[in-house]
Amino acid sequence: MRINTTLDDHRVAKLAALAIGLHLLESIMPSPLPGVKPGIANIVTLFVLYRFDFATAAWVSLLRVFATSLLLGNFLSPTFALSLCGAMMSLGMLGLTQFLPRQYFGPVSLSILAAFAHMIGQLMLVRLWLIPHAGLAYLVPLFMAAALLFGLINGIVTSHLLAAYPKPAD
Amino acid sequence: MKALFNHLKFSRILIGDWVLFFAALLLLIFLFKTYWHSEPATKLQIRQGDKIYATLSLNQSRTLLIHGPLGDSKISIQNGQVRFESSPCRNQYCVHQGWLKHSGQVAICLPNQVSLELLGADKPFDSLNY
Amino acid sequence: MRIFAFIVAILLASCGREPLVQTQSYVFGTLVDISIYGESEAKAHQVTAQVLQNFQQLHRQLHAWKETSELSQLNQSFAAGNQPIKVTPELSKMLSQATQLSIQSDGLFNPALGHLINVWGFQRDEFTPVQINDADIQKWVKAQPVMSDIVIKNEMVYSTNPAVRLDLGGYAKGYALDQAAKILREQGVKNALVNIGGNIIALGAHGDKPWRVGIQHPRSAKPMATLELSDGWAVGTSGDYQNGQRYCHILDPRSGYPAQGTQAVTVLIPPSENAGVMSDVASKPIFISAENAKAEAAKKMHVAFYLIVNAQGKVTVSEEMNRRLNWLIKTPEIKVLRD
Repeated sequence: MRINTTLDDHRVAKLAALAIGLHLLESIMPSPLPGVKPGIANIVTLFVLYRFDFATAAWVSLLRVFATSLLLGNFLSPTFALSLCGAMMSLGMLGLTQFLPRQYFGPVSLSILAAFAHMIGQLMLVRLWLIPHAGLAYLVPLFMAAALLFGLINGIVTSHLLAAYPKPAD
Repeated sequence: MKALFNHLKFSRILIGDWVLFFAALLLLIFLFKTYWHSEPATKLQIRQGDKIYATLSLNQSRTLLIHGPLGDSKISIQNGQVRFESSPCRNQYCVHQGWLKHSGQVAICLPNQVSLELLGADKPFDSLNY
Repeated sequence: MRIFAFIVAILLASCGREPLVQTQSYVFGTLVDISIYGESEAKAHQVTAQVLQNFQQLHRQLHAWKETSELSQLNQSFAAGNQPIKVTPELSKMLSQATQLSIQSDGLFNPALGHLINVWGFQRDEFTPVQINDADIQKWVKAQPVMSDIVIKNEMVYSTNPAVRLDLGGYAKGYALDQAAKILREQGVKNALVNIGGNIIALGAHGDKPWRVGIQHPRSAKPMATLELSDGWAVGTSGDYQNGQRYCHILDPRSGYPAQGTQAVTVLIPPSENAGVMSDVASKPIFISAENAKAEAAKKMHVAFYLIVNAQGKVTVSEEMNRRLNWLIKTPEIKVLRD
């Protein structure tokens, strides 16, 4: 039995592998504030969203979450839950951004919005399940600031990549 | 100015992006203003006699024994709150104070000379009249 | 990015450290809290130590039941007969002031009733319940010891009524506050806040903000309102509670029993040489008086700013006081008394 794969399938597979690779790379880097990471794998998600479609981007994103947690050995752990929660929230937000006029709102907007959604989802999970007390409130502004910063950077990088690697003409 | 504008265009940041970015920035300022002057306390200051015994984060789960003239007062920290769990005093006023969680709140065991005070980013008052 | 960093820097700077040195200590059988603003740590600690030393000395001198205190020795001589004994000029001055305030309050403030206080068991270090003997109470009430029974001539003191026994419990904290203010000013400290067992006097301000004092609700740990204290102002509260527990030890001299019907009375005193004393003493006659006589009692003590919480938790404030209070909770109903 042979599964017929298209060129696009190959491209998506390579990108998914890239996303996983970036996530793994990031996980071994120390972070200045616990719980805060640049989230560079999200660049791939966003790139895929623009090059292909939402369904593909969702697929790449969730595959990355599951694969990396299996590879890092924290499948079904709180870390995995946070990762999944963040991914679902940002995907949900990206789904909503289809209503934004693309001539005015580029990858930067999508990235910032997705980053905020990601952070909010994670903060809610932490507050409701992991650390249920008020001390968290003090950290909220810091985490959201990080989300804005990295959302912006990732968005700019994505837009440069989109320009540097135009859609193949096949 | 023109060079900056061209650079920005090259960065592929669109007009909507700018709007969103500044809106997000405003939201951020609002969050800092709200949460960095909030009431929930973050630190506990324990005094014994006239010395500061310790300044601890409330963000932990722990019990401590503070030794005073009457014996040991047991302090319990949990979930961003603190209380006197037990104390060797006669009247147990300190224990009856229950859980403290807002900045400025104080519980004192006078006979054993142990006091708990919650510190936060901004105290609503400098001293308590009672 | 730079804008962002700039904003963060501004916000962090506004949560900066201020030169406030705060010390807590246990004197007078209660918690003493002294905050000094705007002085070097060394100076702040040195002046605080001086103030605390003064408190220790006052405590030794005025202890109502330790036999070695100057006050106890005076009480012993009162009980024994009319032999006058010599007292320090400071104690003599205190007695004169206490006498004048006692008269001003129509006898509701009566530091000569030490025997009655003793019968109720309030003159001990423990607070265990005591067998109350009505006969004993009536005996001391009938004996009518008053401050005017005390004769002071050239620092020699005696009493014409052997039932007189001095207990300056409702006066000493206030006196100590005035002394503290004096010492601080003499040492050149311009901004400080002194809290002795809840009685507070303010000097200067807390940097560019005035000192803010929380007013505790009689039945909860959280404050119900805040007050700003400017230079020289003092605030004191008489209540039927201590650290949230019922403990009524304010006796009505007329009946010999604890005053009923009130949870707390807070008075705010404008600057004067005796602001501290007034913040301690003046709340008591108001506390003891019946509900419809409280405004009159306040007038007699020349108190314009007061707050009363009655036994049902209803709050009554003088109009002047109402203007200065910042409420932190929603009070069910505030009655404002207009003069």
